[in-house]
Amino acid sequence: MKRRSFVKNVSLASVAGPIAMKGLNFQAISKKLFEPSKMAEDRVLVIIRMNGGNDGLNTVIPIDQYDNLVIQRSNVIVPEPSILSITPEVGLHPVLTGMKNLFDNGKQSIIQNVGYPEQNRSHFRSMDIWTSGSMDVNETRGWLGRHFDNEYPNYPSAYPSATYPDPFAISMGNELSATCQGLMANFSHAVNDPTVNYNLTGSAVNDGTYFGSHMEHISTIINQTNLYGDQINTAAAAGNTLSTLYDAANPVAVYLRYVAQMISGGLKTKVYILNVNGFDTHDGQVLATDSTAGAHANLIKMISDAVNAFQDDLNLLGLEQQVAGMTFSEFGRQIASNASLGTDHGDAAPMFLFGSCINSGIIGPNPIIPNAIDNQVGLPMQIDFRDVYASILKDWFEVDPIDIQPLFEQTINYINVLGACNLGLAENAKDDDGILIYPNPATSNSTLKIETLNERVKIEVFDLNGRSVLLICDKQFNQGTHHIPCETIDLKAGEYIVKVFKSSGIQSTKFSKIR
Amino acid sequence: MLPKQDVVTPVSLSMNPYSGPWTKAEAAHLLKRTLFGPTNQQILDAVSNGLNATVTALLQTPVIDQPLAYDPAETIVPMGSTWVTAVYPANATQAQLVENARIKSLGAWMLKRLNTEQTTISEKICLFWHNHFGATAGNDSRGTYNYLMTIRQHSLGNVKQLVKDITIDPNMLLFLNGGTNNVFSPNENYARELLELFTIGKGPQIGPGDYSNYTEDDVAAGAKILTGYYIDGLRSATLPSPVPVYNAILHDATTKQLSYHFGNVTVANNNANEYSDYIDIIFQQNEVANYICKKLYRYFVNYDLTADVETNVIPVMAQTMITNNYDVLPVLDELFKSEHFYDVSLRGSIVRGPLEMLMGMMNPTESVPNYTLTINSDLYLTIYALAEGMGQAYAAPPSVAGWPVYYQSPAFTQLWINSTTIKSRFDYSAAFTILTGIPAGSNFFKVNALGFVDGLSSPSDAIQVIDDICDVFFPKSIDAAQKLVLKAILTNGLQDFEWTLQYNDYLGNPGNTTFSDPVKIRIQLVLNRVFKMPEFQTI
Repeated sequence: MKRRSFVKNVSLASVAGPIAMKGLNFQAISKKLFEPSKMAEDRVLVIIRMNGGNDGLNTVIPIDQYDNLVIQRSNVIVPEPSILSITPEVGLHPVLTGMKNLFDNGKQSIIQNVGYPEQNRSHFRSMDIWTSGSMDVNETRGWLGRHFDNEYPNYPSAYPSATYPDPFAISMGNELSATCQGLMANFSHAVNDPTVNYNLTGSAVNDGTYFGSHMEHISTIINQTNLYGDQINTAAAAGNTLSTLYDAANPVAVYLRYVAQMISGGLKTKVYILNVNGFDTHDGQVLATDSTAGAHANLIKMISDAVNAFQDDLNLLGLEQQVAGMTFSEFGRQIASNASLGTDHGDAAPMFLFGSCINSGIIGPNPIIPNAIDNQVGLPMQIDFRDVYASILKDWFEVDPIDIQPLFEQTINYINVLGACNLGLAENAKDDDGILIYPNPATSNSTLKIETLNERVKIEVFDLNGRSVLLICDKQFNQGTHHIPCETIDLKAGEYIVKVFKSSGIQSTKFSKIR
Repeated sequence: MLPKQDVVTPVSLSMNPYSGPWTKAEAAHLLKRTLFGPTNQQILDAVSNGLNATVTALLQTPVIDQPLAYDPAETIVPMGSTWVTAVYPANATQAQLVENARIKSLGAWMLKRLNTEQTTISEKICLFWHNHFGATAGNDSRGTYNYLMTIRQHSLGNVKQLVKDITIDPNMLLFLNGGTNNVFSPNENYARELLELFTIGKGPQIGPGDYSNYTEDDVAAGAKILTGYYIDGLRSATLPSPVPVYNAILHDATTKQLSYHFGNVTVANNNANEYSDYIDIIFQQNEVANYICKKLYRYFVNYDLTADVETNVIPVMAQTMITNNYDVLPVLDELFKSEHFYDVSLRGSIVRGPLEMLMGMMNPTESVPNYTLTINSDLYLTIYALAEGMGQAYAAPPSVAGWPVYYQSPAFTQLWINSTTIKSRFDYSAAFTILTGIPAGSNFFKVNALGFVDGLSSPSDAIQVIDDICDVFFPKSIDAAQKLVLKAILTNGLQDFEWTLQYNDYLGNPGNTTFSDPVKIRIQLVLNRVFKMPEFQTI
């Protein structure tokens, strides 16, 4: 890294907030010493990048908008009866049986209409924005890279170390992830097969020229490759994998199986990143003869099946509470399809979160599909992806919000996404017998899905100080599943807990109100 | 370790003609940037020919052989003849089998081109444009071949004409959906990349849908302008190649409005030639020259576009390009003769890509497979796969933007090296030298160690052998201690004269492996070490 970039980054950081020049070492160290958070230290985040711009509307289908979808995209929309409905309003593409299984078991959530203001429709620029978590063109670091820079200063020089013998992040395959680009180096380590042995030699000195910086980079990589390689080999050898659901012909499944093996073998890597290419479906997204099949269906099925197998494996390995995952794509696609059985670059799209610690359900309302075609129109964004990233850092890695805000350029609006396993939030945790509030965050009104016996039920909303702010109902229900409208429109923006008091027990879940 | 320090930035930013020393160091720098790997003799020739004559000779496009059928699944043309204008079987399944044979032949041809390049920039500049346009191989290898040859035809010629020809090239019409872009359903894929990546480049977003040099509305207008073409002849049983066909019914005949970035001009209907009118308008913006010259600079000189370079170097290149109506050759001619290009701070500033690494082992050692057509072709495909595994598959860049090493800040070409790919580089270094070799039929292909050492300045002189090896494989001299390590491998730790004796014995006993094998093995061992050195990974 040359000085110009270094200076640029520092000044940028200083403008954004006290991240780089404040007592960064002190803060990171003091946090380790005085706030040991063993749980967060052991937690793993798996990120699946859907490269090319995933067609969200053919992945998560707003069933209540189906008629207008037919107007907009008759040649790619899947037939309504084939849709796998997960709520009365929201369905999944018929190949997503794995994801539906996860959703039904409370292990998957969908965040609808995620994007950022003034969507950029260039793959490259938009991917830069998503990986950096910043709309600033001068931001060269990834969002996790910035976080790691704060936590582990002087990377890569001081690493691996006795305290941190394992790579902080692993990119499955041959390429490093821009998401993990730090100030001086990329925090991710590329692993194609964790059982391959490394024994490389070679080093060269940095003479201060461009050539010298390459010598230093290559020498560091050789050294790290050996040291990290040994750790990875050891973990892979010690690790296990138990699920029979992995398909050896599915490359995502193969990589996720390796991830499970490394985690179960005790590797302390915090982030694993997988990349799936091919989502730029301008043409041939579906087969002319069958709109439920084709290139796009194959891709999302590959991910859905693999994640389902991975979650099964984590369950069998007893690691479910340690691992969570998310997907992202640089943009969604336009509402109207084109004549080539495809779709063009659009705007917002859904993200998936998976794991047993997520706050399962559907966050955000269905997009509204107009009944007239207006070329080039994509879905407007409702949830900023940077809020999702920040919420993951807060909920999952238990990073102090004081440290999170400076990582991002806009004021963070936290969303309750991954806190279900956190201590002290147990009573707010989602349960596994069907309580679900959607959309979440709520803008105007939400719906609460509950299951009841033939019993009296009181439903009440509390703020985080435990004050009752809204009584939704208090009445007799028949046995079954109920979708209860909740008039949350008058609530202030913020986080709330909705509690369901039944004679069979109390259930609660957290939700956010925005705007 | 301390934080990385200031990089020594170029002392000379002058684009004036270079008039400093012209030795092996400068000649090797020029040839390493313009070839996939010069031999010692090529470097010596460049020294004796002088800078100007060398650059003039480099800036040429030699005629090359066509790909030849070698896989028996090719049922249309005889083995050993070319298929590039041959039809396909009418039956789709049969056509696929033939295509399978042709794509193999084409892949082998791509690698053979690199391996057998003459002393010209041709293969390097073709890869530059191939990266620039970013299209992958299509489903009709004749079309892919034609696309690559269109690039080659204009690679040192006129950029505007290149962009025009690529715009209606069937492989590009297929890749970016231009062939299905019509008035009834505009597809803006090509229109977007034409502006964003191929010509004017995308600037910062300065307003809603406004990317400094063009707007979203320009993309939409461009898509309309480009309507009307479709592809005929893909995998045709009657046509000798896929062709672009214009059909007025498919063309949007309205008048299109461009934004203030293009002077608010309108583009009137001009049917089949409207795309050409549009490209002329785009090229009226000098930013096109700036954008392309920056990419040329990054590819041939250095990834780091410092403020000084943007102020002093790029504008000179761009002005030369504009003055010459967008011809590339004068720009490169000026660049390769400039003071700036030979600034010592730039030696080794580029990390070798996988193809440069593999050819960097083969070409300087004149290691060219000389088996049957089939074995040669399959071997080239194997080497293609090695490059692919390290992240660089010819005719299959990862996206339309090309390989990230040429645009992804801040690491740029350092992205080629990570824990997976460094292991591959080490493995292949050993495979090409000290291990069995790369399977080639019943043979194994390795670097041509004897041929290589025979071609050095003074092969019997151990010190000179190591000096030549350093000139050929490293971007700048290594220190004396490192040279001693290499020499110790060459002499097996004995005194230098022992190597001299061994080499002279080999010369005096032609064809006697008792004398040639020890020489071969010593050279293989040295090269195995050289190819694994960090210094070798840069040019």
